[in-house]
Amino acid sequence: MNKIAKIEVKDQNIITSLQEFLRTLLTKGEIDALLVPQHLPMKNVVMPTLVTDPEKINGADPLAPAFPINAAKLVSRLTRKPLVGGLAAVLRPCEIRAFIELVKLNQGSLEEVVLVSLDCLGAYSNVNYPRFAGEDGIESTLRFYEKIMSGNGAAYEDFDLSPACKSCEYPIPENADLLVGLVGVDTKDHLMVKANTPKGEALLDKLGLAEMGEPKDRKKAIELLVRERITYRDQMFAKTTKSISDLKRLTSYLATCVNCYNCRVACPVCYCKECVFVTDVFDHEPAQYLRWAERKGIIKMPTDTVFYHITRLAHMSTSCVGCGQCSNACPNNVPVMEIFRTIGSYTQKAFNYEPGRSVDDKPPLSVFNEKEFSEVTGGKD
Amino acid sequence: MKKKIGSALVVGAGISGIRSALDLAELGYRVILIDKAPNLGGILTQLDYQFPSDHCGMCKMLPLVERDSASQFCLRKGLFHENIDIMLSTELVGIDGEPGRFEVRLRQKPTFVDPDRCIGCGECSRVCPVEVPDEFNAGLANRKAIYLPVPHSIPNHYVVDMASCTLCGECTKVCPSGAIDLQLEIRRSFRILVVDDELIVRDSLKEWLEDEGFEVETAESGAEALDKVARHEFHLILLDVKMPGMDGIEVLQQVKEIRPELSVVMITAYATVETAVEAMKIGALDYLIKPFDPDTLIPLVVQIYQNIECAGEHRIEVGAVILSAGIDFFDPASGKNTYGYSLYPGVVTSVEFERMISSTGPSHGRLLRPCDGKELRKVAWLQCVGSRDLQANADYCSSACCMFSIKEALLAKERSNGLVDTAIFYMDMRTFGKDFQRYRDRAEKEYGVRFHRSRVHSLEPSGADGDVKISYIDTGGIKREEIFDLVVLACGQRPPTGIEALADITGVELNEWGFCKTQGFSLTRTTREGILVGGSFSGLRDISESVIQASSASLAASILIHRQGGGLAEEPGPQPLIHDVSREAPRVFVALCTCGGALPKAVDLDAVTDGLIYPGSGSEIHCIERICTREGLEELKERFEKSGANRLLIAGCLPYVYTKKIKELSEMVGLSPALMGAVDIITHTFSERNQEGRQVGQDIRAEIAMGISKLKGMDPSPTPTTRIIQKALVIGAGIAGMTAALSIANHGFEVSLVEQSEELGGNLRSLYRTIQGDSPQDLLKETVSEVEKHPNIHVYKKARVIHSQGQAGRFFTTIQKEDGVEETLAHGVTVLATGGKEAEPKEYCYGKSKAIVTQYELEKRLEDGTIDPSSLGVVVMIQCVGSREEPRNYCSRICCTSALKNALYLKERNPELNIYIFYRDIMTYGFLETYYTQARRAGVVFIHYEVNDKPRVTIENSRPLIRATDAILGRELLVRADLLALSTGIVPNDHKGLAEVFGVELNQNGFFQEAEPKWRPLDFIKEGIFMCGIAHSPRSVTESIATAEAAAQRALRILDSEQLAGGTIVAEVRHSLCSLCEQCIAACPYGARRYDEDEEKIVVDEVMCQGCGSCAAVCPNSAAVVRGYRDQQILAVIDAAVEEAS
Repeated sequence: MNKIAKIEVKDQNIITSLQEFLRTLLTKGEIDALLVPQHLPMKNVVMPTLVTDPEKINGADPLAPAFPINAAKLVSRLTRKPLVGGLAAVLRPCEIRAFIELVKLNQGSLEEVVLVSLDCLGAYSNVNYPRFAGEDGIESTLRFYEKIMSGNGAAYEDFDLSPACKSCEYPIPENADLLVGLVGVDTKDHLMVKANTPKGEALLDKLGLAEMGEPKDRKKAIELLVRERITYRDQMFAKTTKSISDLKRLTSYLATCVNCYNCRVACPVCYCKECVFVTDVFDHEPAQYLRWAERKGIIKMPTDTVFYHITRLAHMSTSCVGCGQCSNACPNNVPVMEIFRTIGSYTQKAFNYEPGRSVDDKPPLSVFNEKEFSEVTGGKD
Repeated sequence: MKKKIGSALVVGAGISGIRSALDLAELGYRVILIDKAPNLGGILTQLDYQFPSDHCGMCKMLPLVERDSASQFCLRKGLFHENIDIMLSTELVGIDGEPGRFEVRLRQKPTFVDPDRCIGCGECSRVCPVEVPDEFNAGLANRKAIYLPVPHSIPNHYVVDMASCTLCGECTKVCPSGAIDLQLEIRRSFRILVVDDELIVRDSLKEWLEDEGFEVETAESGAEALDKVARHEFHLILLDVKMPGMDGIEVLQQVKEIRPELSVVMITAYATVETAVEAMKIGALDYLIKPFDPDTLIPLVVQIYQNIECAGEHRIEVGAVILSAGIDFFDPASGKNTYGYSLYPGVVTSVEFERMISSTGPSHGRLLRPCDGKELRKVAWLQCVGSRDLQANADYCSSACCMFSIKEALLAKERSNGLVDTAIFYMDMRTFGKDFQRYRDRAEKEYGVRFHRSRVHSLEPSGADGDVKISYIDTGGIKREEIFDLVVLACGQRPPTGIEALADITGVELNEWGFCKTQGFSLTRTTREGILVGGSFSGLRDISESVIQASSASLAASILIHRQGGGLAEEPGPQPLIHDVSREAPRVFVALCTCGGALPKAVDLDAVTDGLIYPGSGSEIHCIERICTREGLEELKERFEKSGANRLLIAGCLPYVYTKKIKELSEMVGLSPALMGAVDIITHTFSERNQEGRQVGQDIRAEIAMGISKLKGMDPSPTPTTRIIQKALVIGAGIAGMTAALSIANHGFEVSLVEQSEELGGNLRSLYRTIQGDSPQDLLKETVSEVEKHPNIHVYKKARVIHSQGQAGRFFTTIQKEDGVEETLAHGVTVLATGGKEAEPKEYCYGKSKAIVTQYELEKRLEDGTIDPSSLGVVVMIQCVGSREEPRNYCSRICCTSALKNALYLKERNPELNIYIFYRDIMTYGFLETYYTQARRAGVVFIHYEVNDKPRVTIENSRPLIRATDAILGRELLVRADLLALSTGIVPNDHKGLAEVFGVELNQNGFFQEAEPKWRPLDFIKEGIFMCGIAHSPRSVTESIATAEAAAQRALRILDSEQLAGGTIVAEVRHSLCSLCEQCIAACPYGARRYDEDEEKIVVDEVMCQGCGSCAAVCPNSAAVVRGYRDQQILAVIDAAVEEAS
């Protein structure tokens, strides 16, 4: 395990080199299908694609600062039941972590897929990416890469990377089967590929790449990157904690919510077939609305918005990987990611739980500990 | 609900009586459960915590199948079961007839408070001027003459203690519901004749008794007395013995001729006590010695009055009687009282300490010395107070006190965050139960409880404020002194008061110490057929043993009832017709109880009811006066039927009060009880929160509105049932397996008995005698022959289980038979009785000399003559070989007795023989203690050793040489033995495969892991599978039989009906919403959920589901729901609460 190999960067084009590497997976790696984000021909949009033909990989661009959807849900669809044939998926680290959460919830299987991932440099929001990329396709990605690697950050015109990415302390996909390393690597010359699992190593062996050692600057570079993001994150936690510190503040925080439930649809770990908020449970009697209104003389419509977010926090905040798709999906710019990550930081700490770390960590609610939270349960230590 | 023909009487409603009653009720029999106390629960009402969990858990005894027939709340608070009639303050006074058809006479004492009317408001107690010591708090606090016997019962009714009541009548004046009737009218019609030649006696007696409300006449001579008796009616005569002319004896004789039923109490001077005793033989009830004061006279007269006048007598026919009357604790103030109990304020009993540490106790759980409130920092426990004490006529061990004291010491440590120093002074720490040894070790090593092996002779006060000095001799023989804040006496057992009378009435024999005597190889059969004993009535035992014995007793009772033609046939009679209202819109009928005018007095009724019901909704609200009375209930029924509603909500007392009434109403009006409910408004009515009534009115509105919302959302479809395969599979045919098989087969069900060896009998085959002198081989022969001849038992020898699937009621198990052919058996229950064996020693040179044997081998060789006692000069035995230390850190319970048995046998054959027994703690619990005494009398020498300084064995000249340290001498002992017997303990057979096949658990020693060590000792977590015998834990033949009977009893609950009803409150799956994440399966504590691979969905076993709601809590989108607690319903209830309260 932990075998490291080299992907040669030809013509100083990191994207085409990556494409070449992905093509090898299909040709030499006994991989029948590959899930990978590609620039689609119809418009300059980056979307996950499922590719079986090695020739149809020319638009693949896993480095594009676009993140239209958390693909964990797609991998879940592909692996929910035994699959005939080899599947590999190129995912961002947060997608892998979300997928691991789904596997714990029986919504997919690690057995059925090889997870490939790159050091993640972040992405712009769905609104901002087209503004950044224009019609430039892969060229825009190279521009982005150049900018960020030269230490100039990702800010462009009036926008920057999405807050979720800026506050993400997990840019390195340590739990991918195959990790493609960029940070602290001399990417003008080569990329590194590291096998983190026996499955990854078996695949790497088939590809016939030259071996290499861990680049000496990598560790330090990663530390620097993570530290930066943690600083941002903690500021965000402090700010958000303050702005939701009581019911009144929380209500105004969520005031623009229109119950579209987009955030729940976009959330990779919200795994219910149908959210309880769209079932008969919330199919209130028409007269009930009047009774509610009568109590105070006025109620805001639609109702149940705060209730909805609190419920989703109760259900999923321990599993929140912070991918930010909720905020991405919100039509009214409610900072959903911020509240989820902030509350999640508390609930995850309470259960000493780190979502997406390993399938061996059981979700807190499926574990019974006789002695915990005695301050709440009144039981002995 | 199950209703079978046949009934039983259970005497005593402590833990064991409750267990027996529930057992028989669960089989469908009618049970009359009586207790002479005014409350349920026996000793356990006073104990909040039980070892080894140091929690309670009594509720775990409640029915798990057919749950809806019983209450489903804290069992310490109360019990309700459709088939159990509970009669408190009731005693058994007579029994006639034959087993299977007894007629019992029960006498119920009045409590003077009508339980149907008492709403528990406590006004009466507040105004009562009397204060007497409170039994519940072991006398550490006071109570009134009208009081709650236990503070936590639900429903909780006040009772009057007539012995201390002054009849002032204050309570009757304040009672809002008119529930108190001191029966002064009846008392006035109780006529007493005082006969004495001394005017002063006549006058003072007349005055005292009239003050008590009795009607009194006097007579100054025998002749006048006889004249009055002939002309008027009297109920009691107080008769002087020594009178001029006709003396008391003569008067008594003549009175008894005219009026034989008239009660007479003799009055006598000290000189004529003997005459008075004579008088009792010719019909006097009792006697009083002059001079006496009102305090002696009044209680006696009141007692007689109550017995004659107030006690209602009931005659009931029952098939069997179970005596579970418990024990009393030794009174340490009796006898020589060298510990100064009741003299030194720093000395308390273990029960008193239990109350001190209880949060319902006098100091609310703070560790304070009762006499001066000093915070406790140093507490000692003295073991064997009134036990193992020949001088106190107690040549027995009380079995539970060692663990009891360790638990108390641990609780003291926990309560004080370790600040209290605790020391236990003991002779032998008897940790013989399952997992007890580890509990003790934890107390010593983790919590720092000190254990001193020393019998303390006496205590002395130290200083004036209550400290107590203990002087003791340590194991090294050195005298030491220590001063403690408090000394707790671990008081042993005594036969309960009244046991002789009960023995007399029932015709059972008592043993030499006055406890109920049992037959050989049985813990439950008394000397009279049809009368069984449960729990501590035949000697104190811990909860788990009591529960086992209680179930074993109920099994024996059930077999008897079955044999007498009652049996498990369904009781004929019309099944109540329940209308299907599932297609109707919900219409709620609210019955508001006005509670004797108390409600309208507290609130404005119109304001309370106004607008609660939406017009046109079909719901109605009605005020009804006193629903608790017959008339009230009738009115409710009539109005309800007229209304055409399909839900019923009673707003009145605590909901528990209506449990039984709702069942009754359900049958009368044909509405499912699930669609009826009750809410408590009475607590609000009598609250002092707001005198203006506005807030009270709002609270009541909120209660009713919530109740309506809850009922509206109730699922009206009928409760599901599960079909049962009425056959049993028993695995293992030792004595436990055979007994279990017979117990089930004797109820008419087919049993497959699977045994892996070629012979039936297991370990019993190698036992030749018991210490009591019974013959195991006779038992073996009888049992094997009974099993083999039994038409309902199919025996598979040399067979093994290879696969099993299914759940309670429907198992399919494949076995491989002798010929290699596989057969699949369908069965509803499984009993695992796969036993254990004697451990093979690795230590003490075993195997290196023929003169070193195990106790089993010794017994066998004594039997077959290969060892001749007369040829031996010195025999050594070593106890706890490989036992009671890791990894086998448990006591095997039987080895001390085996060693004593063999030692006594050797001594009997060769009295010259020298026997030395090296031991750590001699575990002769209960009445086995007497054999320990006998062995010492016979000259067997017992030498104690410590686990870290074991005896050392070598072989010299082919004889074992034993060296050991004697702590008192401080020197090494050296014994050359002709024979060395090793007590090696018991190890379980390899149960791993079986545990896997049946999906059950093993404990760390390889014995089966029970669902709960105290309350469900023979159940597995997985319903429908039970364990018995040594596979549970090491135990004697008799004890194994008891577990087998009890396990059979548990199994029969499931087997005895063709189908079992799930509860009203069970979980369901809304498949269209389910994402199959299986979180609910992980969360279910009863194993009632599984993933069905064929159907690709989650299924719930409705028999196993207990409706706890864990699944619904983990399911994010309510695909897992619990009937009766659906989201919509609960949201509506919350809305109702918020709307009305704001």
